[in-house]
Amino acid sequence: MRATLSLIHREFSAYFYSPIAYVVIAVFLLVTGYLFSLSLLQLTALGPKGISYPMQLIVNDVAFWLVFLFIPPLLTMRSFAEERSTGTLEMLLTAPLRDWQVVMAKFLACYAFYVLMWLPTLLYLPVLLDWEWWTTRCGIDPWTVVATYLGLALAGAMFLSLGMFVSSLVRSQIIAALVALFLSLIFIVAGIWRPDLDASGLAYRILFYFTVPLHFERNFGRGVVDTRQLVLYISVAVLCLFLTIRSLESRRWR
Amino acid sequence: MIHVSRLTKFYGDYPAVQDVTFDVGAGQVVGFLGPNGAGKSTTMRILAGYLTATSGSATIAGHDVVWDSLEVRRRIGYMPESCPLYHEMRITEYLHFRAGIKGLYGAKRRQRIDYVLKRCWLEDVRRQIIGTLSKGYRQRVGLADALLAAPPVLILDEPTAGLDPTQIRSTRELIRELGREHTILLSTHILSEVEMTCDHAIIIHRGRVAAQGTLSELKDRASAGAGLVAAFDGQIDDTALASLEGVTAVQKESVDGIVRVRLKSDDVASLTPRLCNLAAAKGWKVREIRPERPTLEDLFVQITGRENA
Ligand SMILES: Nc1ncnc2c1ncn2[C@@H]1O[C@H](COP(=O)(O)OP(=O)(O)OP(=O)(O)O)[C@@H](O)[C@H]1O
Ligand SMILES: [Mg+2]
Repeated sequence: MRATLSLIHREFSAYFYSPIAYVVIAVFLLVTGYLFSLSLLQLTALGPKGISYPMQLIVNDVAFWLVFLFIPPLLTMRSFAEERSTGTLEMLLTAPLRDWQVVMAKFLACYAFYVLMWLPTLLYLPVLLDWEWWTTRCGIDPWTVVATYLGLALAGAMFLSLGMFVSSLVRSQIIAALVALFLSLIFIVAGIWRPDLDASGLAYRILFYFTVPLHFERNFGRGVVDTRQLVLYISVAVLCLFLTIRSLESRRWR
Repeated sequence: MIHVSRLTKFYGDYPAVQDVTFDVGAGQVVGFLGPNGAGKSTTMRILAGYLTATSGSATIAGHDVVWDSLEVRRRIGYMPESCPLYHEMRITEYLHFRAGIKGLYGAKRRQRIDYVLKRCWLEDVRRQIIGTLSKGYRQRVGLADALLAAPPVLILDEPTAGLDPTQIRSTRELIRELGREHTILLSTHILSEVEMTCDHAIIIHRGRVAAQGTLSELKDRASAGAGLVAAFDGQIDDTALASLEGVTAVQKESVDGIVRVRLKSDDVASLTPRLCNLAAAKGWKVREIRPERPTLEDLFVQITGRENA
């Protein structure tokens, strides 16, 4: 266990050796900050404009999903591809660690970075929720926010593990990022492109099953937690982590 | 300590290691010799648990390298060929991390790190970033890492490649010293290195073990070609040489009036006085007489040259 912690610690600090981490955090905070300011305007607007749920505008925006599409591949592209191309994987895999420990350590380090990235957005919440600190009551129903963060936490795990699996297959970081981006696009594209479909039609229902932005628009953003989506995120994440372990194992036989 | 039996490794269709069998006893320092592409690194990677053999088995300290890989990895210090390291870390940071994943904590970890830094002459650069180190220093970091957990077995893939002559010398001395506490398997192309540091050698060629044994056994094998070299001024009569007792073959060449003969014999020691007597009786002007000692290099060239031809 402590050995795994050592590896998590190294993997996590490795993010801060490279400029990518800072760029990712900066762009992410810029976009969410901008959307936050828009939300404020909308929440306080009079008349027919405005939004009814606090996080709705942030997670419904195309810009947000574009950023969200790019971030996980950038965070995971290094994980195995770089170690393979520089040969350090040989050092890592001949240390007394099991393959699943290596994979879990890398995943947790990368997930910790993802969580770190989201932490500053908690500062917006008192304003978005109309929080009165002297009564500790919220003017707006907080469950929509809790549901949104839950959705983001699990969807993030899905995209990160997908990126990690791709990274374990290739040698080049760029290719790892591009392939992961392409695979993530399957889950996101309908949220950016927004086809004009009848919401009760079969096409929409199929699309809705795996399109993450639609889940946030219809469910999480409105405080609805639908287990079908949680199951999708968790099962894709677990499957990808499992395949990553397998891909490491298979490399020993080649 | 290391027991390898009928190990075979195919990369696709290409057999990199075939039917390799050898044993390394506890406390031995064994040199693993072979030309480029002989399969040394492949064998070592299998022993370190990085690759899995296609067939055959290997055990280290009684643990199978495939089925009990974790136990094996706890007992070996492995230094890969090109010594890959995380370039953005500092030396002490890196060793801290490696000690952590090898299960060393607290005071023990600090003490071992100090020890390996001293042992591998890294104290002056301990805070330096690995990416800015020269190749030789990186090599030493790799060696320090292998020593960290005080493993009973060290597997070192070309530990002196890329070092300067003084460093090569001190690294060899270090390896000899380490040989008192550890069982060492080290690969190299440099034959004199094996003669200086090892007590056993395994010569591997095209994925097969071509010769193995203690250094003196191997030299005896090479001594099929042993003999005397003698040089004379002026003409000599080589039929007289050939009829000398114990001579099995004579090679003669003359350059600038100097005749050089190479006499092959199974008993070089007693041949020398007989040759001197003959030369004195015939009135030949002797320039030099020296025994031709077989070296490991001769054996190496014999083995690798024979199959290339
Ligand atoms: N990953 C690989 N895929 C295919 N062939 C490989 C691979 N690794 C090594 N080989 C081949 O296997 C053979 C043995 O390689 P190995 O690295 O074990 O040689 P070596 O004895 O260490 O040589 P050197 O002295 O140059 O380090 C070589 O012919 C090499 O081309
Ligand atoms: Mg090699």
